Amino acid sequence: MWKEKHPNNAPKWPAGVRLPIILSVHHQSEEAAAVFADGQLDPFDHSEKQYGGRRGAWRLLEIMAKHGVRGTWLICGATSEKYPQVSREVKKAGHSIAGHTYEHEMMCNLPPEKELELIRKTVSVFENLLGEHLRGWRTCFASHHTMDLLLEHFDFQWDGSMWNDDLPYMGEGHGHEILEIPFASYSDAALAVQITNPFPVNPYVTWLSNTPDFMLQALKTSFDALYERAAQKAVMMPLAVHDFIVGRPSRSKILDEFITYAKQFEGVAFTTHDELAGWWRAYMAD
Amino acid sequence: MATETQAKITWPEGVRLPILLTFEHQSGEGAPLFPGDRPNYMVGGAMQYGARRGIWNVLELLDSLKIKTTFFICGTTAERYPDGVQAIHAAGHEIAGMSYSFDRVRTLSPEREQSIIARTSKVLQDTAGVQIRGWRCPDYRVSPNTVDLLAQEGFVWDSSLLNDDLPYLFECAGRNIVEIPFTTSTADKTFIGYPYPQRGGPDGLANVWNNEFEVLYQESQRAARFMILSLQTWAIGRPAPLRMLKLFLEHLLGHEELWFARASEIAASCRR
Repeated sequence: MWKEKHPNNAPKWPAGVRLPIILSVHHQSEEAAAVFADGQLDPFDHSEKQYGGRRGAWRLLEIMAKHGVRGTWLICGATSEKYPQVSREVKKAGHSIAGHTYEHEMMCNLPPEKELELIRKTVSVFENLLGEHLRGWRTCFASHHTMDLLLEHFDFQWDGSMWNDDLPYMGEGHGHEILEIPFASYSDAALAVQITNPFPVNPYVTWLSNTPDFMLQALKTSFDALYERAAQKAVMMPLAVHDFIVGRPSRSKILDEFITYAKQFEGVAFTTHDELAGWWRAYMAD
Repeated sequence: MATETQAKITWPEGVRLPILLTFEHQSGEGAPLFPGDRPNYMVGGAMQYGARRGIWNVLELLDSLKIKTTFFICGTTAERYPDGVQAIHAAGHEIAGMSYSFDRVRTLSPEREQSIIARTSKVLQDTAGVQIRGWRCPDYRVSPNTVDLLAQEGFVWDSSLLNDDLPYLFECAGRNIVEIPFTTSTADKTFIGYPYPQRGGPDGLANVWNNEFEVLYQESQRAARFMILSLQTWAIGRPAPLRMLKLFLEHLLGHEELWFARASEIAASCRR
């Protein structure tokens, strides 16, 4: 069993970095489409989410290019197979690529052998399609085995599946180390829409959604709080967006405006999980 | 089986961004029943508003702005409230089908689904004297056969899917169907529908529509785009949301090179 390893000194970021923002794009398109009790994919949810791979991802690439910011693209293996041009463009643009399971499986419902098989399958998709050796992993629905599987069978540098801290922490086990870079609710899924998966299909058939202004305000308020706190102690902002949510025109403006807002503040660094993991390892080695 | 293929899209000369308002018109057929199939007069009644009042408010607004557009109508609503449906046609709007009685076709046999399409066509023909050529599935849940059946029944276009910024084609046996994808991300009911609480209210509609238009108008400078709105006569037809629609449409009318199109006109701009 893996265990946490705690640093001895107070965490800090490199000089000049006051608040790191990890813009994490979930490129999963229709993989997490809702399923009816009879086992059939919900055609509505499936079509709504397909927008992510067909259009939304491209719009997010454009916005990031416009602002000159890099981020981490968390990509499902199956999504990469269905929309390979997107993955290639992500790589070309210099973003980090991380694995986001094969078909957005709920690992917590699967035996460890199956989870291991799916991680291997996803890793090989990126090796074969992009020549990309995955350094990071994130599953929205981790199992009790996830961290041990990653440590025992792979050489991932980091994982982003946990929701339980403000800051990274090191995990060790099976003779390896992996940096956990936890997530939070600074996300379009938390602030903008109700995601049906894995819950039963909503009989009211509305795609429940908050307004763009609501999400933008919530992001700005969260940013302000973190930026203020960052004067005293190290914090980070893991900001998650989805290709099928913020990729829509009306919501894409939230991201555009939030990046513009955050960039005005000194010491704000748009970064990737890979870069941030490097910073953390360097600080821990101090 | 229908196979998807790209469409060659040519908007009419001088058009930068077409605007397609789609109104869904039912009278409570779509309200989920309470367990045991007991009636839901709360949601059902709120939806009935569309056929009793909402439609007249919407038609008045469209007439005052001289905008022609497309209405998706349930067969049973045409039977129960024929005046409204006839008024839609008389005002020059396009009539399209949205099933007979909000029938959920996802798991139905092709025979059953075909009979629903045919029955809806007949009711709308009998009510308004038009042969419908366009369709939207209630619930936006197509069956694996929907597009092929529409082609077989002589339809020209469908607007049940939500996966693109632009229309595309389905090649079916014998003829093509133009798919005109829409989105619930800007739909009135997403922000002022059920279940409660409302998420944004009338001002939320202005927020989301202005964002959508601004982004699409900008993108249309360098790529083909169109803007489609999905609206419910039962939701947008109430006075406060309708006023937001009025203000938004007036804002659009101040822009150059917009084209308020019917869905069939959008479909006619898309070729193999």
